[in-house]
Amino acid sequence: MRIIARLDVKPPNVVKPIHFDGLKKVGKPQDLAKKYYEDGADEIVYIDIVSSLYRRDILFDLAKDVSKDIFTPFAVGGGVRTIEHTQKLIHNGADKVILNTNAIIDPSIIKGIVSVFGSQAVTIHIQAKKWDSWYECYTDCGRNRSDKHVIEWAKEVEDFGAGEIILSVIDNDGRQRGFDLELSNKLIESVNIPVVIGSGAGSLDDILEVAKLNPSGIAIASLLHYNVLTIEEIKQHLINNGFHVHI
Amino acid sequence: MRVGILDCAIGGNIYSIKKAIDKIGYETQIVKSTSGVDKLIIPGVGSYPEGADAIIPFKDELQEFVTTNMIMGICLGMQLLCQKGFEFYPHEGLGLVDGECVKINSDKPLPHLGWNNVELIRDSKLLKGLENEKFYFMHSYEVVNYTGCTALTTYEKHKFVSIIENGNIFGVQFHPEKSGEAGLKLFKNFLSL
Repeated sequence: MRIIARLDVKPPNVVKPIHFDGLKKVGKPQDLAKKYYEDGADEIVYIDIVSSLYRRDILFDLAKDVSKDIFTPFAVGGGVRTIEHTQKLIHNGADKVILNTNAIIDPSIIKGIVSVFGSQAVTIHIQAKKWDSWYECYTDCGRNRSDKHVIEWAKEVEDFGAGEIILSVIDNDGRQRGFDLELSNKLIESVNIPVVIGSGAGSLDDILEVAKLNPSGIAIASLLHYNVLTIEEIKQHLINNGFHVHI
Repeated sequence: MRVGILDCAIGGNIYSIKKAIDKIGYETQIVKSTSGVDKLIIPGVGSYPEGADAIIPFKDELQEFVTTNMIMGICLGMQLLCQKGFEFYPHEGLGLVDGECVKINSDKPLPHLGWNNVELIRDSKLLKGLENEKFYFMHSYEVVNYTGCTALTTYEKHKFVSIIENGNIFGVQFHPEKSGEAGLKLFKNFLSL
């Protein structure tokens, strides 16, 4: 199981939204990426949370600069919508791209990128919003509805060749009150590609609960940004409870 | 020594490899030919057809190069050393290694992403001093039919080739440039051969 540090970036800062809104600056992405790498993060996820919203390209030079001191996988997203964007990112420190809004607008982009770079190079970020009886995918950093059901969309992106899904849950994100275990479990059971669960880590127990669902990875942001826990402490707790993690 | 990182495909995580090797103090160059290069690295990241189409024009040059110099293929870079790949459809590879590249035979989630041990079958120059370390894998395809492999790795009970060492030809299925300190040391081992 991978422990993944997630950086939500509103250039030039890492910010931490609550419910995808109400931004708080927490540091520079270069510094935090390096720190989490040195602390033993298995992967760094970098998402430019405003590029889709502003309809601008991701800032390639910033992503490259952030990758400079890290020697662990680096996933980059935010406004990525073409093979050229993907090439530029992979040539410059990224290992895979993360897509949400642009994949929902035009799912064929998934197939296009996979045909050139392979499945392992495409991660789909699902931003789920809970309604009474279903979960809906949101776009543009939790701002706009898509009418797509989370589980149906997950199966669709698997068919298109995506190699991984990272889940965020709008109602849980940034609140540090636990993951949405019900949706997480359903998602993990529904697809046969690796699933990373995010949104809601508030304590070691929360992390342990989600680990029991056997996700491929757990994405953590606030707990690390606010120095509540270190990656090392999280991994040690998982090891003490019989889970396999890399230290 | 001049270390070349081959930049031929649309994929290829050239900067990730360059900064890893720069970090351990070697002079690297991103190159489009083997001329003036002492050791060559073939990067991964990409689909087989894309990578093969890009590298086939170098076939003769690379066959000549390995008679006197060492090369190391990483991930797709190792798979391209094979005779053939089967991602999407059959495709010719470089033919430097007696093997083929096929989808990993597992009912578990693919791609295989994460840290794993490598299990030595015979002595390894690359893995010297790193026998107990784990390395980072990101792949859905594996090399088969290679009879002289150096190490295997197990993913969900399925064993696949993770290191090839044959004369001047080296290949690793994992990503040393993404495997922290252990990966940097593996580059050091290769470059000090």
